[in-house]
Amino acid sequence: MAEPASRTLEQLTLSDDFRIEELVDKHALAEMVQSFYELFRVPLRIYSQSERLLAEASEQPELYRYINTLHEAKTALQAVVSAVKNLKPEREGVRYACITGAEYYVAAIRYDGRAIGRMILGPYLPASLREIPRTLTDLDPAIDVKLVRELLPKMARAKQDTVKQIALHLGRTLDLILFSGHRALLASNMHMASVRESFRELQDKNDKLQQAYDRLKELDRLKSNFLATVSHELRTPLTSIIGYSEMLNEGIAGPLVGEQKEFVDTIHNKGEQLLELIKGLLDLSKLESGTMTLRRKNTAAEPIVRDVVATVTPAALKKDVDLKVVFEAGLLEMWADAERIRQVLLNLTENAIKFTPHGGVVTVAARMGALTADPSDDGGVVLLNASRAAIELSVTDTGIGIPEAERSRVFDAFYQVDSSSTREQGGTGLGLSIVKRLVEGHDGRIRVEANQPTGARFVVLIPVRRATFT
Amino acid sequence: MQLDFASRELTIKLVYYGPALSGKTTNLQALHKAADAASTGRLMTLETKDDRTLFFDLLPLTFRDQGGLAVRLKVFTVPGQVIHASTRRLVVQGADGIAFIADSRESETQNNAESFLDLKDNLKEHGLTLKQMPLIIQFNKRDLPGVRSDSDIAALASQGREPVYLAVATQGGGVVESFLGLLHLTWSALNGVHDLQRKFNFDGDRFMGEVAKKLGQTASLSELLSRSVTAQANAPRKVAP
Repeated sequence: MAEPASRTLEQLTLSDDFRIEELVDKHALAEMVQSFYELFRVPLRIYSQSERLLAEASEQPELYRYINTLHEAKTALQAVVSAVKNLKPEREGVRYACITGAEYYVAAIRYDGRAIGRMILGPYLPASLREIPRTLTDLDPAIDVKLVRELLPKMARAKQDTVKQIALHLGRTLDLILFSGHRALLASNMHMASVRESFRELQDKNDKLQQAYDRLKELDRLKSNFLATVSHELRTPLTSIIGYSEMLNEGIAGPLVGEQKEFVDTIHNKGEQLLELIKGLLDLSKLESGTMTLRRKNTAAEPIVRDVVATVTPAALKKDVDLKVVFEAGLLEMWADAERIRQVLLNLTENAIKFTPHGGVVTVAARMGALTADPSDDGGVVLLNASRAAIELSVTDTGIGIPEAERSRVFDAFYQVDSSSTREQGGTGLGLSIVKRLVEGHDGRIRVEANQPTGARFVVLIPVRRATFT
Repeated sequence: MQLDFASRELTIKLVYYGPALSGKTTNLQALHKAADAASTGRLMTLETKDDRTLFFDLLPLTFRDQGGLAVRLKVFTVPGQVIHASTRRLVVQGADGIAFIADSRESETQNNAESFLDLKDNLKEHGLTLKQMPLIIQFNKRDLPGVRSDSDIAALASQGREPVYLAVATQGGGVVESFLGLLHLTWSALNGVHDLQRKFNFDGDRFMGEVAKKLGQTASLSELLSRSVTAQANAPRKVAP
């Protein structure tokens, strides 16, 4: 038979092929039978439908012990016992007389209209028995009649009606226990089945979500490929435009006069701008597809900062923005690709100047910091959090700032805090997403926080080289 | 349905479906009360919370035909609350017939409809359609204020396929009629598929009459079956001169 847990609701409610031992605890049943025996002193046995003895409470009467020492009598008694065992009463219980004058009473144990076992009560002496029956005294030529007369009255005596009542009462008690057992079995199976069913539902939904996710990922990959291809193809003709406008500007095709030079200058400048944009797109797609290679080596922060500041100084002067540089003494070298770090810092500084009004201050600073494990990661901080020395590069402005709710999204590609400001200030929305990916490519981290009383502060941490064990 | 030729037993599963608090359990309780002690077992209530069914109720009824065939009916309710969808789907599995217990109140119209669509979906999950399923509809709680009128229900019922019954399950009214209507439909459907009447030499209508008696009914089977709203609507009416 299958394990109870794997049976379906249908099997549990419709087929009803229950075994007593499935619904009732065997030890508890034995205790109950023992308690019936102690109360009524009538020996009691319970058999399952498959003839297994499930519980028993009896002591062999002295008389039976004596009879079992006599050869012929023992055989006759065994025949009685096996006859009793083979009785299959239906609705009514049946009595069976033993050769000793004692009796057995056998009744079916029924549940939900079906027999699922039997109870055998006895042997007991019917209260009405007065004489020692001849079947007993004639049982064996070697029988000691005097001893038998002495032993027979020591057996448990009971009225036939009482025994019937005991059987009825035991049957009802068992029925209640079986009902409770059946209910508990059903309930636990329903719990299991409900959980399985809910799990199946969730699994279905998960599968669908996974499919949708896989499809989106594929689309994203296609988008990156497309961007890479398009950027590359755009760059080729643009190089010619820039090259030829440069040659025109240098007068290789003859001197330019007045507005001609101004127009060619514009063509050249706008061409350079467009090239920067396309490079950005290419960088992003390379970063996304993981094909960008970093040439990392020990790199000092100071020359990079100085170079960036020198580059943006004209723009700062033009906007009347005060540009400050702060260095901490004794900076270690970063483990970084100098060109990419320059790109990161340039982008952040240009942004800062762009969003700082006239008379504002932009501060570029470099100092020692530490990279610690992110507590929102998988845990095990105590094991993993060997905080690592890093260079902290920060760019602080006194501009319009970034609302807290937007801070986690400013690093998304094409995201603009306020699209109206983009129209005013220019920009593709690509810069910060490239910055973030470049920083992460260095195992570093970038965050943005508020500057008091106004403005934003971008903080980049780039680790120094990990000490190697030699 | 399960057939046991050796012991001449037929087991039929009937399910009482419907929205939360429409009176499914009350129907079973009334049925249990109506049945004579020899035919019914204990009404098993599986897990409740605040008197609401969490899993199901199960009422076993056994009727013996004169020919010795034992018909064992297992009558189930489902939990009506929306969250127990998976349990409903489990219980409705293998049903031979369904009684849909609707709440008669106007305000419950939407809930009735939603529960009915839920039944349809759950049958579909088991590869069944409502068309194949013997089904009766009971409008319960006729004694409450704000119920849809008899004529309203009769007008709609006459357009539908299923027998429709009116009931006040708390007082037992209409419960046995609904049950017999469902049993009759289910028996006809099962007999049509399995030819039980011939195989068991069994008279379905006579048997159904016996069941009605054991459920405390004195009227004839045809009289009891004609108590459905639909049967009354279709009965020839006297036309005023």
